[in-house]
Amino acid sequence: MNPSEIDWEKFSEITGKHQGEKWGLIPLLQEIQESIGFIPPEAIESIADTLNLHPSQVQGVITFYSGFSTEPKGKCVLKVCRGTACHVKGGKSILRMIQKDLNLEEGETSPDYQFTLETAACLGACFLAPAMMVDREYYGKLNPIKVTSVLGEYRKDKGED
Amino acid sequence: METIALTINGKRISCPEGKSILEAAESHGIKIPKLCYHHSLQPFGACRLCLVEDKKTGRLFASCVTPAAQDMVLLSDSPQIIKHRRNIISLMMAEHPESCIVCNKGNRCQLRMIAAELGIGENHLYPMPNPKPLEQANPFIIRDLSKCILCGKCIRADHELVCAGAIDYNSRGFKSRPATLHELPLEKSTCTFCGTCVSICPTGALSTKTDFAGTPERESASICGFCGIGCNLTLGVVGNQIVDVNPSHIEKSVNDATLCVRGHFAHDFLNSTQRLTKPLVRKEKKLTPASWDEALGTIANQLLEIKKQHGPESIAFLGSSKCSNEENYLFQKIARGIVETNNVDSGGYISGRLFLSLIEGRADKAGRFNFFAGPLSGLEQAEVIFVLGAEPAQTAPVLDYYLKRSVKKGIPLIVANPGKGSLTGHSSISIHPSGSPLSNQNFLDTFYLELINLISVQLLEKEATDTSFMSRFTNGYEKYKTDLLSLDQKVSVKKANLDIHAINNAVDLLAGKKITFVIGDELMLQRYGKEVMEALLNLALMTGSIGYKGAGFHVLAKENNLVGAWDMGTVPETLPGRLMINDENDRNIWEKAWETKIPRTRGLDLFQMIKKAEEGRLKAIYIMGENPLRSLPQPNLLFKSLESLEFVVVQDILFNETVTIADVVLPGAAFSEKAGSFTNMEGKIQCFSPALRPPGNAKSDLEILGLIAEKMGFPEYKNTHEGIRKEISSTLSTYSETTACKHPIWIRERNQEQGNIDEEQIRFSPVASSKETLWDNDYPYTALFESLRFHLGSGTRTEHSIRISTCDSKGEIEVSPVDAKKMNLIKDDRIKVTSLTGELERTVKVNRDIRSGFIHIPTAYNHNDARHLIQLAPLLDASSNGWDSCQVSIIKVDRVNDRQLER
Repeated sequence: MNPSEIDWEKFSEITGKHQGEKWGLIPLLQEIQESIGFIPPEAIESIADTLNLHPSQVQGVITFYSGFSTEPKGKCVLKVCRGTACHVKGGKSILRMIQKDLNLEEGETSPDYQFTLETAACLGACFLAPAMMVDREYYGKLNPIKVTSVLGEYRKDKGED
Repeated sequence: METIALTINGKRISCPEGKSILEAAESHGIKIPKLCYHHSLQPFGACRLCLVEDKKTGRLFASCVTPAAQDMVLLSDSPQIIKHRRNIISLMMAEHPESCIVCNKGNRCQLRMIAAELGIGENHLYPMPNPKPLEQANPFIIRDLSKCILCGKCIRADHELVCAGAIDYNSRGFKSRPATLHELPLEKSTCTFCGTCVSICPTGALSTKTDFAGTPERESASICGFCGIGCNLTLGVVGNQIVDVNPSHIEKSVNDATLCVRGHFAHDFLNSTQRLTKPLVRKEKKLTPASWDEALGTIANQLLEIKKQHGPESIAFLGSSKCSNEENYLFQKIARGIVETNNVDSGGYISGRLFLSLIEGRADKAGRFNFFAGPLSGLEQAEVIFVLGAEPAQTAPVLDYYLKRSVKKGIPLIVANPGKGSLTGHSSISIHPSGSPLSNQNFLDTFYLELINLISVQLLEKEATDTSFMSRFTNGYEKYKTDLLSLDQKVSVKKANLDIHAINNAVDLLAGKKITFVIGDELMLQRYGKEVMEALLNLALMTGSIGYKGAGFHVLAKENNLVGAWDMGTVPETLPGRLMINDENDRNIWEKAWETKIPRTRGLDLFQMIKKAEEGRLKAIYIMGENPLRSLPQPNLLFKSLESLEFVVVQDILFNETVTIADVVLPGAAFSEKAGSFTNMEGKIQCFSPALRPPGNAKSDLEILGLIAEKMGFPEYKNTHEGIRKEISSTLSTYSETTACKHPIWIRERNQEQGNIDEEQIRFSPVASSKETLWDNDYPYTALFESLRFHLGSGTRTEHSIRISTCDSKGEIEVSPVDAKKMNLIKDDRIKVTSLTGELERTVKVNRDIRSGFIHIPTAYNHNDARHLIQLAPLLDASSNGWDSCQVSIIKVDRVNDRQLER
């Protein structure tokens, strides 16, 4: 998601729904993350206003959960597993290959906001090791050819847009 | 409540149900180490140092979060627990930088104390320092988060006690740290620099910015000398200098763990080079150093001579709402007993004393009927709070914390103020005057009075009145009711351009409740101040909001001993104990005690003194601890009239504006350098003793007054503060519960029971209404004068604080975005503001909270130049324009060439 394309109307629609619901902070943040792609830092104060919280408290929750991001993420978020089983099966080389292919370090987003590369401590799919996720899709038993084809698929996806 | 019995370390103890194990243990003298626990914060269970072991099962509990239960058998120092504690401290030390030698927390560091107790010096763990940049750009607080142990005390104090919400935890795990929004420096966050986090921080992560390194040589308890809250302080002293100030953390004290930026950081003014250190006598038009004997001799001779020549009425005494009760008592005793004049007033004239007298005057007999709401802690039990014309976040921040905490507890808050300020965001309903520049009508003057009238009418129409209260305690209700109902609501709404919708909501919220009023300085300085106050008192009577727990009036006292100076008779119309001058019986009480005659008629108040000086009928004035040449409007006029006096005595601690016109200058002592007592805005008398010596040859003010009395031939007036307390308590029965000074309360707090108002009936005041006033088209803007939290009053003392003078706030005039656009103003542009009486020049900043048509001018900055714009006229008098606002015109001054451009 390109940060210049923040849909502020959508944003106020979401916050409007949760007006005054102190307990609703996490669902609200999830909705924003989902629909905008990230939580714009400049929106923290207005989220806090909506829920009668201090802005510092809202920021605290956002920075606590890795599920929330204050930086724009790519359209496709790659999560490469770094669990033990994947490690044994060569997960490290898979990660290195993706890094080289996308020219991204861990936690980085490509300048065209197509890809964000992340790692996860364990995806819980050890029987598929080495594994990774792209958005909500699992890709297991990876090898260099499969990785290239998966990445290609998501690049192609970009081409179609 | 059930009592629970349990055993800790073999000792059988008992505690009420609901207490934690830690609280139970501490109340019986069993010490359990802890880092994240503080008695005024919610228990948190973060540090795990307060572990105790259940002897039966061997389980470990964090005692701060575990409720004590019947028949528990616990150990607080078993080998297993000690092992755990040592591990916890070792882990903390592994992450802690090795900077203890230069750390300002020094011997007060709780982490170091516990490490020392557990014998952890050399750590066997691999050091894992967590370096963070040192933040020290602001002049108040140094943040070194590499020393943070994540106890969360600063965050909890911020959220639970002062409700500023400037910081919270960021991130998680090893990276976790307290952070401001967007990790900006504190001065760019919502931090108010109250310093509560600094004194509550158990390590050196947060410390006061100071040149001094290490631990103070000694600490002594004191009472803050700035605003009327009367916070309990602990002064850290090295040699004869105060190096740091902290709240005393005394449970049930008015401030407990909190303070404000002034109390915490502005006391460095005491070390100013401008302190008066020796007596000065004017010789050949120049103030020259003199001996005490010479200075006192001159004063005694001159005053007696002027009294002989021009009569006692030609001498006036201006006491101080900053000096102690004992000093004010002796001061007015000298005036009334020796000089035989009732021309006694204090600086409280400006800061709300008139309001107190007005409220008190409503009872048929002074002191019997208590309109005052008593302790501030009552706010947290109020039914509804109504704040009018006050911005406590700036003038009395600790009161602001009380209000915000009350809101957090769900107590509805109604705010009526000019629309800017932190309370607005916390309120259920906020009502603001309209500054619509489209009409040339002045809506500000009429605002408060019409608002109260409308609320009263509507409550009446709803029959939301307390009839049983009124029939028992009041008279004149029927007439009041008829008058009120005959008010044309539409006219009222129009006169003040009020938002009727907001008023309806406020009435719904107020109906059927006892109201707690918090009234502020802005109201007191209003054109219709007196009428507003009377309308409020009527409203309080109508709703029965008096004598009821927590309800009544909190009158915001801007100065530490405003109430005390009033109580002690430093006013023209009452004697100590608020006894009336014009009442024969009252007067007799003090005449007998002083073995003298007291003049029968009331004396001159501060304004009348100036007028009489101008007319040449006042010849001498004795000013103690006040700086009228800085605090009063139209200083040029004032200067002329005071300079024309034959003889002026100024007794003060700083070389201030008023000293320049004095004939004799006496160096007094600040609160930290003498003993005495202050009465705070709750009516609580709190004693203090000296922490250090007065500088140079300065003397305590009480001593000075005694010496003057002696020189004038009345050596029996000379007395110690204990002697004076005895003198007062043996004369006034209400002051009889004198206790030793060890106890912070000298006399009991004023009685809050409804029972003792039976004998009196309170009259309703006549209904008053405002007149429409029109703007002078030459002066199209309304300037509102506001205090900022960095300065107190006119800034005589806070100006000398280096920290305050180096902080970011430079007293910029605030304008609304609409007006800024109209005048083509951006931040840091200079403007010239002109009123009928004077002008000033300052830079501006644009604030979107300001309403169009208004500009906000902070007082106390630039030698308090704001007072040039205000007209010197009597306060609480509808013929004058009031001191809180005035009409002005604005011209943009060219920043580059200083050339003026007409806009």
